[in-house]
Amino acid sequence: MMKPGSLPILLLVAAITGRPVAYLCAQRPGAQLPAVAVERRLAQDLSLHVGDTVRLGTAPDSMRMLAIVGAIYEPRPDPAEITRDERYVRLHLPDLAALLGAPDRVDRFGIGLAPGTPPDSAVAALEQNAFGYRAYSSASIASGSSQTFLVVSRFHRAIAVITIVASAVFLLCIMLLKVEERRMDAAVMRFVGVRRRTIFGALLLEAGLVAAVGSAVGTGLALIAGAATNAYYRRFFDTALTFSLITPGIVLFSVALSLALGFAAGAAAAWRLVHTRPMVLWGRG
Amino acid sequence: MTALTWGLKRLIRQPLRTALSLAGIAVAAAMLLDMVMLSGGIDKSFSDLLLRRGFQMRLTPKGTLPFDTEAAISGAAEIVDALRRDPAIVAAGAVLGTALYGRSADSLVTLFGYGIQPEAQSLYQVTAGEDLTAGDTVGVLVSEPAARLLGATVGDTVTLVGRLDPQVVTAAVGRRLLVRGVVRWLYDYRGQPSVGTVLPVMQRLAGQAAANGASLILVKAHDDAEVPALAARLRERFPQIEVNSVTDLVRHFRERLVYFRQLSYILGSMSLIVAVLLIATLLTIAVNERLGEIATLRAIGVSRRTVVAQVLAEGVALTLAGAVLGIALGLMTARYLDAILTSFPGLPAAFSFFVPRAGSLALSAFVLLVTGSVAGLYPAWLAARAPIAATLRAEAT
Repeated sequence: MMKPGSLPILLLVAAITGRPVAYLCAQRPGAQLPAVAVERRLAQDLSLHVGDTVRLGTAPDSMRMLAIVGAIYEPRPDPAEITRDERYVRLHLPDLAALLGAPDRVDRFGIGLAPGTPPDSAVAALEQNAFGYRAYSSASIASGSSQTFLVVSRFHRAIAVITIVASAVFLLCIMLLKVEERRMDAAVMRFVGVRRRTIFGALLLEAGLVAAVGSAVGTGLALIAGAATNAYYRRFFDTALTFSLITPGIVLFSVALSLALGFAAGAAAAWRLVHTRPMVLWGRG
Repeated sequence: MTALTWGLKRLIRQPLRTALSLAGIAVAAAMLLDMVMLSGGIDKSFSDLLLRRGFQMRLTPKGTLPFDTEAAISGAAEIVDALRRDPAIVAAGAVLGTALYGRSADSLVTLFGYGIQPEAQSLYQVTAGEDLTAGDTVGVLVSEPAARLLGATVGDTVTLVGRLDPQVVTAAVGRRLLVRGVVRWLYDYRGQPSVGTVLPVMQRLAGQAAANGASLILVKAHDDAEVPALAARLRERFPQIEVNSVTDLVRHFRERLVYFRQLSYILGSMSLIVAVLLIATLLTIAVNERLGEIATLRAIGVSRRTVVAQVLAEGVALTLAGAVLGIALGLMTARYLDAILTSFPGLPAAFSFFVPRAGSLALSAFVLLVTGSVAGLYPAWLAARAPIAATLRAEAT
């Protein structure tokens, strides 16, 4: 953010797909050429190195500015940019203004406020005098630019709810079948005088054990899938962003949900089993 | 009694188990249908949107996509004239998009302006009033949101202002225009306040008059089959311009939304795995429970093939019933998920991610049916190899 009164050394960002367009050109280096900073991916695409000379212009048929590659930089990972196939080059503000033929014009100012000044009141004060510009606080810009990710997040949550419903039904089904498999055992236990409560407890314990082992295996699978997702998308988008984040909170929630569902399903199936007559369980009822 | 009837009877005898299995298969089928719709819906919806008025190509400044940046094509009128003289081209029209302002009472409201050539446009549909004509330099078309912001309707006069200059606290250029019609701009996001004038008027407002600038040029070819060859020819003829056919644009768009396509493949595959596991587990346990019954059937002369057919039919019956429920559930959840994704900022309001098509419904049903049959193979094999004598002896004791 540029402080009021400081020199305009803020580097502007120019997209190769917008204005200006940068092209590699075999030029003899000159003495007074302006320096530019080139994004790492663009440098790779055009095989540029520090010290190379490039020609810049606002259109492919008007490449009138020569510049020296002064630096190659790695842009900060930005989820808003990963799907855009744009490449960036940074110029000093006067150089870009000269290239665009628009001296003393900028797209935006960054303003650093004195400590204690509320951003909203500063915005309101600037808006009162507004003509030809609008003022925004950093918070409102962050909120506006994060809308896309809020939508993606809502979509993920909706998919997660559907997945949880599917998992719950699947778990209920498996538990029911698992307990149903024990009909003969339950019948024999009832014949030899084992109490319903004991059988119920044993079946419930078994259901809990299956749910616990399943949760542990599921957590392991999720960690592997998360690592694979991150590795794949980092390579795919050439970025350092994290795509899959499995936090302890998520693991705790998932394990708790699995255990709760496992116990509930086991309890429902076991209750049904212990309240069925032993002869019916034995298949002779 | 057919194998399918046997299968159905077996399922009815275990109502709770069958109901839970159906619920599981229905949710998996719904997820599968949604993901099939998502994987193909993006391309279909975008392609339909671009081809709404039959223009198969878009020409934009080199290295850009339509309205992706503020870059403009210089000398648009000459390029359009040259294109219109090409015998392979039916129509060509330039469009300029720019931010501008409208005067509403004492304040200014921010608008998006389209400069169009009315004789060759594919950007809007007139919903009230009348369209602009080629030489109409005093008329303007407004969207519903723009009409509300400006407090104007057909026949009213509005003032549009371009290029505000903070240093002299005035607008560099302004224009009073008559509202000819209210239109629906096809590529606008929900609530976008847009206005449209003939190209020269918008060029003046945007400061593009001298360069005769345009954001894109729309081209309609005589024949769809000619488009790739025509695109290649135009690329050679206008090297400073990006020539994109609708197929190219759909490919670019697909690359940007690759995440959703990959997600649809992963979740669709997981749905199938869940369905297979559920059906296979259910049938395996059912077969184990019925080993005595199966051995008896075999002992009285029922063929191994009939027993296998019964088990497979049970799986298919379960899958079919689950698929019917799942398709209904999938269509409902697709509407909900589509409502979430279409709230992406800047996305055209007419765009959909989940497009229900007969093809996607048929594909989902077919894949599920195959899945159900495959899931029944292992239990059917168990049923077929059950030893008759040993099983009957065990049942008797």
